[in-house]
Amino acid sequence: MQLKKIKGQMAAATCALLQVATPVANAAENDWDVDTAFLYYGEADGRVQAAEPAIYMGRNIGDDDRIDLRVVVDALTGATPNGAYAVNGVAQTFTTPSGESSYTIAPGDTPLDSTFRDVRVALGADYTQSLDRMSKIIWGANLSGEHDYFSMGVSANYSKDFNNRNTTLSAGVGYNNDTVKPGGGVPIEFAPMRDQGASQNIDGSSETKTIIDFMVGITQVIDRKTMVQLNLSLGTVSGYQNDPYKIVTVVDDPVAGLPSTAFLTANDLPYVFEKRPDSRQKSSLFLKAVHHLDEDVINASYRYYSDDWGIKSHTLDLKYRYELAASYLQPHVRYYSQSAADFYRHNLVLGTDINTAGDVLVDYASHDYRLAESTTTTLGLKYGIPMDDNSEFSVRGELITQSVNDGAVPAGQETPDLSAIMLQLNYSFVW
Amino acid sequence: MKKTKARRLNLKHEAGYWHGRFMAMASPCEVLMEVEDKKLAARILEAVMAEAQRIEKKFSRYRDDNIIYQINNANSAPVKVDDETARLIDFADQLTQMSEGLFDITSGVLRKVWKFDGSDKVPEASAVNAVLDYVGWSKVTWQDQTLQMPAGMEIDLGGIGKEYAVDRCVQIARSLTKESVLINFGGDLATTGERKNKACWSVGRLITGKDNAVGLFQLNRGAIATSGDAHRFLLKDGVRYSHVLNPRTGWSVPNAPHTVSVAAPTCVEAGMMSTMAMLQGEQAEEFLKLQEVDFWLD
Amino acid sequence: MKWLMSIFAALVLTGCSSMGVEPWERDLLAKDSMQLVPDYFDNFYDEHIYFSKEGSSGGQGVGGGGCGCN
Repeated sequence: MQLKKIKGQMAAATCALLQVATPVANAAENDWDVDTAFLYYGEADGRVQAAEPAIYMGRNIGDDDRIDLRVVVDALTGATPNGAYAVNGVAQTFTTPSGESSYTIAPGDTPLDSTFRDVRVALGADYTQSLDRMSKIIWGANLSGEHDYFSMGVSANYSKDFNNRNTTLSAGVGYNNDTVKPGGGVPIEFAPMRDQGASQNIDGSSETKTIIDFMVGITQVIDRKTMVQLNLSLGTVSGYQNDPYKIVTVVDDPVAGLPSTAFLTANDLPYVFEKRPDSRQKSSLFLKAVHHLDEDVINASYRYYSDDWGIKSHTLDLKYRYELAASYLQPHVRYYSQSAADFYRHNLVLGTDINTAGDVLVDYASHDYRLAESTTTTLGLKYGIPMDDNSEFSVRGELITQSVNDGAVPAGQETPDLSAIMLQLNYSFVW
Repeated sequence: MKKTKARRLNLKHEAGYWHGRFMAMASPCEVLMEVEDKKLAARILEAVMAEAQRIEKKFSRYRDDNIIYQINNANSAPVKVDDETARLIDFADQLTQMSEGLFDITSGVLRKVWKFDGSDKVPEASAVNAVLDYVGWSKVTWQDQTLQMPAGMEIDLGGIGKEYAVDRCVQIARSLTKESVLINFGGDLATTGERKNKACWSVGRLITGKDNAVGLFQLNRGAIATSGDAHRFLLKDGVRYSHVLNPRTGWSVPNAPHTVSVAAPTCVEAGMMSTMAMLQGEQAEEFLKLQEVDFWLD
Repeated sequence: MKWLMSIFAALVLTGCSSMGVEPWERDLLAKDSMQLVPDYFDNFYDEHIYFSKEGSSGGQGVGGGGCGCN
């Protein structure tokens, strides 16, 4: 046979063979991925302390499906603001939710209800069902219970990959049904808190609310090092949305802001239980980008939120994963800023907002600091050690500072800043 | 909620590099990585392993759940194949043309009569001729990514698969690190680039008839592949029948070298060049000289 | 909300097909640290804590369970 030179042809053919190739396989394994965590959350000045152990387990089922399970226990103690504000020169006395005892707050101190104590258990399960190679549905269920609150919810999230899996579109819907069962019963909206031992203004023992969420999202791979996500969410909450333990101070004179003396009838205290609308429409835009530098990774997100209670908020979150030789350090910064709800009130003024007969002339009012104009700043640091056997140990600390802008309120009645720490331990492994 | 993670790796540190090992495609595979960071080394090794296993699973003719099985059991029905399979078949098609039919992915059925077990069981001519009806790329219709062949014929991409896997893994390793990585799948090897300080990767070289690696390849860039197997032949009446079969005659190529190693920019080129050289029989050396490639013959 | 929807529609309909990577260029995107939520419980605890301390919530997904803390 005639020998011929084929080196050039061979090179060209090889080029055609190798220049386009195929996906790198994911070793689909049926081991459990386990993540265990413990969180200590502690607020300064004797306010809320929480211990939250948690475990997560997930595994593949067959080639394409997956199940994920989660159990979280949340043990809380400490004191929480009852909605009234600090007043210079006046001691304030309040009745506990049970109506059977009272507590007195010294002049100039922020009224905190220290009977707050609860254990919450929350279960979550997700089932990922592959429809075909490019699309899937994640079915989710949640259940949580504590002594005065019970929540159950289901969700479904559909997603489909496009453009060589560089684009993922998703759409989700969630439904939640929550029941609140306040200790001592459901307080009547805008009715005064009454003296210890007197019959309280209670109507029924439980209330419910329903939450429906919709979300559409797109995830896009930009290049080898960058991925972005955009979510649009709409939510509707209907039903009982008051905090049954929060009250609003009634005053005779807004300039002094002292608890009313004229409002008092026998056994009534100058505080009424708050009232919020029974419907809330929420919408948010969420953007996230992850970017790989030479070794390090930046994870940044922004959320714009707005609802028909008048709250608009901006949230910025930035994490920088700094790779060390065999471990990593991850500083974290979060900044949150919100405007006040339309019905956020420092107090209700006798004669203008409420009369001595107890008729309230405003639609809604709450002095819950979470509905006030506020900013929250968080600084955190995480240290993680990934190990050879695909386990990882990490520890994280976060320092949270929240300050409320009360607007023009009499001196000494401002909402104090809240500072808190989070300490978290994490251990994840393959089982 | 989360993604899965992989298993424990066989990864050891040696003088100046990380050395990972695993088994795939019935061969011992190794990955040498001139990187400092163990995590990075583990990442490269995992990616290489996953790719080798993917290719093996997809193209092995010993499985009944892949495209090769579908094609070989289509019973003369047309089979539409995916892009990657199509590129491999296109490549094989070009090799068949270049070699004027000496290279042929349908020649595997000849193994039904040729068992290279070191014995003297050379098949009868009638048996070879009977099987030869089922050999020949020209009997196959290959167009629009669709392959149709007569029932009883089989294709086998095993002759390309290992070299292809090495080159794919080189691409993957390159995307993970700028440092030099050597991929060695059972003697077919390639590097992603040059080592620091002009060092070479040294790889043991098997010489016919000796069980241990003897001699070394010094590789600083590109790839080396070896064809031939010192243990696969028949010996009858003093004639050595190599395991290299001529698909046109159905007979063992006479006087083929025991092994041929060729250096080339990619492992696929090196491997195909050495396979083609084997098919030339006693003209192997002449063929290789004509190609102006570095080679080693035994 | 209307303007958000139109931005979203624009993003979906345009541009995206020219972005992206080939399958074998996913080495970095496949890393744990490059996932949108790289630290499952970090994210979980954060959402939980801020849900109980702030007036807004959500954005990252649907469902997740209620809590008497807010």
